[in-house]
Amino acid sequence: MKLNEDDLYRTSTQFRQWSFTAEQLAAQRAKTNLQATERVKLNVARQRAQRVQAAELDSTSGNSGIDGSGANTPNAVTSDKEVDCLTVTEEMTFVEEFCERTMALGAHCKFSDNVIATCVQFLRRFYLYNSPMTYHAQNISRTAMFLAGKSESEHQSLDHFATNISSEKTKVTPEQILAPEYLIVQALRFNFDVKHPFRALKGGVLDMMSIANGKYEGPNHSIHKTAADLSTAIHQLPRKTGGLAAKATSQQLADRIMRESYSPAAQTLKKTAALTDVYFLYTPSQIWLAALLLADEPLVLFYLSVKMPSTSPVYEKVIVALRECALILSSHRSHQKLHLPADEQARMDAEHRAEVKRLIKKLKLCQDPDKLDLVKLNQAQKRDAVQGSDLDVHKAKRRKMDRENFQKDSDTFWGPELPTYGAKPA
Amino acid sequence: MSKVTSRANGGQVRQGEAGGASPLSKSLYSLSLKPSSRPRTDAASDVCPVCKSSRYLNPNMKFLVNPECYHKMCESCVDRIFSHGPAPCPIAGCARTLRKGKFREATFEDLKVEREVDIRRRVASIMNKEESDFETLKDYNDYLEQVEEITWNLILKIDVDETNHRLQRWADAQAAETGATRRTYEPDPSMAGASGVVLKKGGTQRRALETSSGNTTDTNVKDKGFNFHGLKKKVAPPPEAPFDPFDGWSIAPQYYTLQNDYDADWLTKHKREKEQLVGGYQWSDFYNRALQDAFGGLTVFIDDEIRARDIPSGDAAIGTERAATAAAGGQDVNMDDIF
Repeated sequence: MKLNEDDLYRTSTQFRQWSFTAEQLAAQRAKTNLQATERVKLNVARQRAQRVQAAELDSTSGNSGIDGSGANTPNAVTSDKEVDCLTVTEEMTFVEEFCERTMALGAHCKFSDNVIATCVQFLRRFYLYNSPMTYHAQNISRTAMFLAGKSESEHQSLDHFATNISSEKTKVTPEQILAPEYLIVQALRFNFDVKHPFRALKGGVLDMMSIANGKYEGPNHSIHKTAADLSTAIHQLPRKTGGLAAKATSQQLADRIMRESYSPAAQTLKKTAALTDVYFLYTPSQIWLAALLLADEPLVLFYLSVKMPSTSPVYEKVIVALRECALILSSHRSHQKLHLPADEQARMDAEHRAEVKRLIKKLKLCQDPDKLDLVKLNQAQKRDAVQGSDLDVHKAKRRKMDRENFQKDSDTFWGPELPTYGAKPA
Repeated sequence: MSKVTSRANGGQVRQGEAGGASPLSKSLYSLSLKPSSRPRTDAASDVCPVCKSSRYLNPNMKFLVNPECYHKMCESCVDRIFSHGPAPCPIAGCARTLRKGKFREATFEDLKVEREVDIRRRVASIMNKEESDFETLKDYNDYLEQVEEITWNLILKIDVDETNHRLQRWADAQAAETGATRRTYEPDPSMAGASGVVLKKGGTQRRALETSSGNTTDTNVKDKGFNFHGLKKKVAPPPEAPFDPFDGWSIAPQYYTLQNDYDADWLTKHKREKEQLVGGYQWSDFYNRALQDAFGGLTVFIDDEIRARDIPSGDAAIGTERAATAAAGGQDVNMDDIF
């Protein structure tokens, strides 16, 4: 019984739980959006009714509003307009923006590329089943970063991380980071492993280099039979598809593979691939080849023709998949920007910023009022919840007494007294 | 005797259960377990037959016997006579060669009983078949009967040499069959004429003895000494296959062959780092993992395979129902404090 690389990949949770067809993805997003919209409208209506009731009571007793906190900026409850919820596209733009911000956050915390990419995938997976209207991406992204650091074994202690991401304007407490942790983990269905195409790209480039050096030993389905033939063939590859074949020196070829192909492909993977849906739609192997295809098409096609017979239908299918994946990557804003003049780039950025600003403002008016304070929600679920009643105070006091007594006893020379069975404990 | 009664019962009764007791066994019982009615101050039993010293003079006197001849003598006599090596028994008319190491205290007062017990123990260690080794109960009972016969032959000194030889052959055959270490049968020392302890003998004599014993074992390889009817053939268990932790599965990469080394500028830089010299780190592991990643899922077409799975994704895949509701944006799963 033999397993090949594909079988191994099929066992991963990324394939089993987090791979979708484009339609499924769209349907799931629409469903999430619909559910969130209904909930937000319902909750807002309920809270507004409560507010009106309270206001009526207050008018008789002469108190101020029910919550004085959000006095200056209206939120979904305090504004009197009809709730205008985000659409699916707006949600996606919003999440994407926060993915980008998270990348900056990760870089600020000096996390490695792996952690940042994992965190972005956590966010994307989380917002597949949750709407930013329910849980604000600001809160979720911090915790996702903390979680990603842990799952990629680059743990930063909670306090250190909290001070790291706090700025003068916004103070982040450890409780704020921990509050949605379980929520996220559960939305991720406890799948912490994200398979990235980074190491895969390195492996592939190493393999190409061994072809270039004439030391290739793997399967060979091309017309060039020996390793030396392959080496000459790769040296004569045209620079562009349909271009003229030109003999390159081995130094030029190494430069071409490492500088002109590998580096841009790595950049694409790090930035663009994380911001698009390719992780859901394609396998890491296809993603790195697609990124490389954008950088150096003749090289990838030659490489593939070595790896599998070009007459087989699978070869055609792989090429089609790679081109589709490459299209998704190249049509993304962050990739398009690279090939535009500076003023055009600035214009695009400005446009994007304006759009994001509008969305953040809009989200403020359609945020689910029940899920605003995650810290409080988290605490409410814990033992000895903070809604302090007399009974709770009594209980806490008794527990404290017990604990102190035990501590005192255990400090004595022979330790605490053993319980005497049958007799009534003192 | 018991033989007759068991036959009358159709041989379907386990002989051990049927009492199986011979008159001697009964006498053995009455002698050993019943409190002795004889007075302890028996003059004859308390005087050493060799040195004639009595318990009266030496209250701590202990009597020892040697299973060669079962003659009783006191401890000090044994020390005196046998300290310097094997010597003939001092009892008149015996003259067997005894060794000090074999002397022991008698368990039973009646030395006949002591001897029978010794013989039975020896025979039982060789004839150690169980009921499960036989095809039918009758065969097993026949076997037990034959064992009893052998035992009685030895006890009553009938065909002793012949029986001992057969027992030896049986022991050899059993050892050969199980592949166990050879269990040597020690024939009853009180019987054997030639195979007793050899005092200093001439080289020729010793050699002659060796060849003769060698001859006997050679000729007796073919027959096993005894032939029991209905004895099951011993089937050796099949040899255990070497342990395979992966249960026959192995990883066979389809798109790459791992090479010993790969060249790249950034690699050579890393390879020179001191950290890479740590024991247990192997570059081949990195190469293998990187290449496995590079081609893992190259021909997995998610669009086709997920569709073929034909399950609305997100439902079947979710571990628990509660997680499903939470993941689908329903209400949160309560975080239960386990304490």
